[in-house]
Amino acid sequence: MSAEQVVSIGQNGEQTITPLLELRNVTKHFGGLAAVQEVDLRIFPGEIISIIGPNGAGKTTVFNLITGIYRVSQGDILLGGRTLVGLSPDAIVRRGITRTFQNIRLFNNMTVLENVLVGYHTRLKATVLGALFRPPQVRREEDVARERAIELLSFFGPELVERQDEYVVNLSYAEKRRVEISRALAADPKLLLLDEPTAGMNEYETLEAVKYIRRLRDELGLTILLIEHKLAVTMGMSDRIAVLDYGRKIAEGLPEDVRRNELVIAAYLGKPSATDQEETAAE
Amino acid sequence: MSEFLQFVIVGLVSGSIYGLIALGYTMVYGIIELINFAHGDIFMIGTLVTILLFNLLHVNDTNPPTGLALVGILLLAFIVTMIVCAVLGVVIELVAYRPLRNAPRLAPLISAIGVSLVLEDVGKLWKGLSPIAFPQIFPRAQINLGAVQVNEIDIFIIIVAVVLMVGLQWLVQRTRLGRAMRAVAQDREAASLMGVNVNRIISVTFFIGAALAGAAAVIYGLEFGTTVFYVGFNIGLIAFTAAVLGGIGNIVGAMLGSLVIGMVQSFAVLIPDSLNPSSHGIGLPHGGGSWSLAIIFAILILILVFRPSGLLGQNTPDKV
Amino acid sequence: MSVTTTTRGVGRLLSPELKTRALLFRWLIALLLPLLVFTFVWQGDYVINNVLLGFITPATALTAPSKAIQSAIFMVLFYFLVLALAGYLVASDSGRRKTVSIWLDSFVFAVVPILLIDVTNNLVIGIAVSGIAWAIFFTVRKRIKYLAEAPSSPTSLPTISNDELLQRAILGGFWLGLTLSVIWLLVDVLFFVTGTLQTELLIFTAIRTVVLPIAGYFLGMLGGRVAQRYTAAAYASRDAKNNAKAGHKSRLESQQVVPNDQPLRSSGARTFYMALLIAFLLFYPAIDQYLFGYGTDGRVTGYGDAGYYVILALGLNIVVGFAGLLDLGYVAFFAIGAYTWGIIGSTQLGIIFGTVFNPLVLSWLFWPMIIVSALVAAFWGVVLGAPTLRLRGDYLAIVTLGFGEIVPIVVLNLNQVTNGANGLVGIHSPAFFGLDWSVVTPTPYYYLVLALIALVIFANIRLRDSRLGRAWVAIREDEIAAASSGINLRNTKLLAFGAGAFFAGIAGAYHSAKLGEISPDSFSYGDSIVFLAMVVIGGLGSIPGVIVGAISVYSINILILGQLDSLATDPTSFIYPVYHTITQYVPGFTFGNIRNLIFGVILITIMIFRPEGLIPSARRKRELHRDDDAPAGAGALDIVPSDPGFEAEVRIE
Repeated sequence: MSAEQVVSIGQNGEQTITPLLELRNVTKHFGGLAAVQEVDLRIFPGEIISIIGPNGAGKTTVFNLITGIYRVSQGDILLGGRTLVGLSPDAIVRRGITRTFQNIRLFNNMTVLENVLVGYHTRLKATVLGALFRPPQVRREEDVARERAIELLSFFGPELVERQDEYVVNLSYAEKRRVEISRALAADPKLLLLDEPTAGMNEYETLEAVKYIRRLRDELGLTILLIEHKLAVTMGMSDRIAVLDYGRKIAEGLPEDVRRNELVIAAYLGKPSATDQEETAAE
Repeated sequence: MSEFLQFVIVGLVSGSIYGLIALGYTMVYGIIELINFAHGDIFMIGTLVTILLFNLLHVNDTNPPTGLALVGILLLAFIVTMIVCAVLGVVIELVAYRPLRNAPRLAPLISAIGVSLVLEDVGKLWKGLSPIAFPQIFPRAQINLGAVQVNEIDIFIIIVAVVLMVGLQWLVQRTRLGRAMRAVAQDREAASLMGVNVNRIISVTFFIGAALAGAAAVIYGLEFGTTVFYVGFNIGLIAFTAAVLGGIGNIVGAMLGSLVIGMVQSFAVLIPDSLNPSSHGIGLPHGGGSWSLAIIFAILILILVFRPSGLLGQNTPDKV
Repeated sequence: MSVTTTTRGVGRLLSPELKTRALLFRWLIALLLPLLVFTFVWQGDYVINNVLLGFITPATALTAPSKAIQSAIFMVLFYFLVLALAGYLVASDSGRRKTVSIWLDSFVFAVVPILLIDVTNNLVIGIAVSGIAWAIFFTVRKRIKYLAEAPSSPTSLPTISNDELLQRAILGGFWLGLTLSVIWLLVDVLFFVTGTLQTELLIFTAIRTVVLPIAGYFLGMLGGRVAQRYTAAAYASRDAKNNAKAGHKSRLESQQVVPNDQPLRSSGARTFYMALLIAFLLFYPAIDQYLFGYGTDGRVTGYGDAGYYVILALGLNIVVGFAGLLDLGYVAFFAIGAYTWGIIGSTQLGIIFGTVFNPLVLSWLFWPMIIVSALVAAFWGVVLGAPTLRLRGDYLAIVTLGFGEIVPIVVLNLNQVTNGANGLVGIHSPAFFGLDWSVVTPTPYYYLVLALIALVIFANIRLRDSRLGRAWVAIREDEIAAASSGINLRNTKLLAFGAGAFFAGIAGAYHSAKLGEISPDSFSYGDSIVFLAMVVIGGLGSIPGVIVGAISVYSINILILGQLDSLATDPTSFIYPVYHTITQYVPGFTFGNIRNLIFGVILITIMIFRPEGLIPSARRKRELHRDDDAPAGAGALDIVPSDPGFEAEVRIE
């Protein structure tokens, strides 16, 4: 799973790297409401990019647009230069993007292993006839899939492997999150979208999550785009941060720069009220 | 021209009956997102209740009441039938749907199917398998309305339906109860946080919807003079189609949809019989009349596929 | 083997050690009880004696020699299987369960049904009443603490060596054989002395007395070998071959591993039950005569009809149970399958095409045409499923309901093709090497439907455990997550409709061939509801569940209510006065008339109290009683979308 870097040589010999994912002027209307407006974003292979912003800023909508659950009203989304607009979510998975959800969406009445095996759906080829007759190649691909699924689970340590036949309802929140990520990894994506991966986790679990997210990029070569509310997490982990507010991108750049950006601060804290201004003036 | 108007009248009459039943479907769906499969059978039970009432009062068509007696009896029929149906509706909700309020969606649906089966067999046991005669006590006179002769009963039906529907609209839009109903339909939790007794409102909704079906039952019996234990099924499905056509959850939509469906059914007989040599092969085999149910279902399917929100509904995409 | 080893072996055989003695005792009683009831109270002895007599003096034979031979084979299989089962049970019992509880289980689940079938002289009613008895027993048992079991985790189960397993098993089989042989000998001697046993049969008595213990020895060994396959060690070595990490007891359901706290329910015991069931099904037409007397053909016809219910239930299970698509118009595909063969296999084909087909050829065509009918039905399954793809559960139900209504209307009105309201008659039965496929000899149909059911079950299991099966369950659980995992919703749903319709087509072709005539009013919405009821009552998504559901529904529908109605007109039956009091108050009453009432009440009750059905799939039970074991770690605001309270409707564009 190596990240692809397409380097193109320009006219003057300068090298530019083609972004892995590019959002161009992406807009999404729901009736009269513009949930996302004219958002541009470029993500390069091997990066960890965070999208942050106050609640309702449109972050999850951006994810849904990328993964095909919503269709853009305007603009374009390109993966490796090819457009994703109009593709169904499963087609987008085949192109190489998978995701996790803000409220974990596992298949509750399947075991841990089965959940991850569903993630393999696009990499298996068995058809109806294959299911009925189970010729050797189908048997083999099922065995291989099982092996790989266990490998993926073991990325997080041996605990999930030992519980592979348990139904996911019995798992803790953090464990469920890991299963969801394993499921997303099973499709062998180039780009992984994580929607608030540390939501609901305590400090210890959050630190663990940060570690394995980094490892996902370092060891598995994934490019990662994540939505995150815990600013400490994003600041520490991201290569670049994009900030959304009311559907628009108001800032983008290195974590240190974004943190000091006035617009960003205003978006999170709101504009100072009249009494605040008087107090500041009085000091 | 007069023939055309005849078809229109027929359509209006059917539409009125369907409308009163469709209102029950749409209200219940609006409030708890359940297709009340049993609703059509409540209608059927209503027809049997009216027959029972008439039998107790020794009312029949050989010696029909007239004048004030007629008015009194009709009023009684409406009141009794509507109340019985209303109570039946509330009981059904309590027994078969309320326990499943939090179950996955298939469960109340299957339960509703079960209730429908029970009611149909009750009808079967009560009055047998064959169609039963309904005393036709309404005078069969006709009024001359310019270009066309109209039955008095048709006018009566349309008036009753319009009065009830207007009454319902007033109730829903102008009263406190109606406001509570709309609130629960929009957001059950918020409504309960605002102090609305959600369970009571749901019961009231079933009460009203079933009462309207009871009114429809009286009208139906008076007009068509017959009923049978399985009448609820077909009429129920047609009324449901009407509700969906108009926009499920939307009261005005149900009325509108019923009108359209009534007209469609009425005019369907105009489709020629393709087996009849005079039609030169155009049309449907055996003529549009035998296909009217199929046509209506086809409409239902087309709406659900292409415009599920119906004519007056709103296309609201939802949060992921 | 030296003499000492043999004597020691015999010694061990004849006086087992203390621990094993206790096990032997309890299982001997547990198994002897039903065996003796079956042999002497009901029909076992009767069957064997009459088969033998039939050979000795053919003039008195009850049935044809071929059937007699089949019955003989069945009886041998039956007793041998029970002997092997004895071996298995003794070996696989951990010994921790209370003996009384095991005896109760054996009584209620083995003895009671036999007695009830005997009393009512009717297989279906007997089992139906047993079902009620079992339900009562289950509820009562839960309340009695003495019988209640603490749930055991597989890690706390004892382990014993393979050799000891085998040893115990041999003892179990041998001793059961020995005791049975002795008791039977005594009974035979008693009957001989009182003159009711023919002298010729004594030879058999002698043979049997010797054979049973010896057979018990070896069959016990067989039982032991079966037990060996289910030990924890066996699982571990299998897992090692499967390359899975950390395979140990904690991953196994406690019912699988041996020794076991509940050996009667363990996987090994189930293989024996399966074998017994299959033997019974295969040989049923032959032994029915002995078991129930006259009317074999009528019963076999009835069961041949019940068979297609099972196929339909399995097909609908794919659509509703696996993929979660509530299809209320399933009868449409059944009708399409029936009419496809109906048209091809009758004169109608000639009428449409204006030529005459050789009737002999037509009959042979049944075999390829059953596939064709299934494919035609599958095609329409896809076509009629296509409009429903974006619909939510209840709307999908209504649309499918609409289709279920439209198809019979179309069939009714397309006279040229389907002969309209008159229906089709003279539909050919299949041809198979000179077998007679008529109503008079329904046996070929019986075996045909058994074969079809076996194929359909096999297909279902394969589908369930495949990539496609996982995709179906994923869609049912959470469409959006499924799509986001790469599952093409449209194709997968269409495949579900197609596969479900395929099986309905098979059932339809079989049905029209067997019945010989069909008409549009044999297919209505009411049937779709019955099919849905089968799946719901049995357990959505569970293969054994829907089979049981199908049989239950068929029993209630046709057998029980039909029987009750005919009993009601018989002044000597106990139903008669009941029926007449009811009809005084309710003139429209017949038992057939209240069929829907009963179904309706059953559906409502099941939805409220046991929505996972009678024999739920493991998944379903977890799903529907999830509030019973609160999931750890999920915060109050983390409502998972499959929860009923969460609205997850997104137009996936």
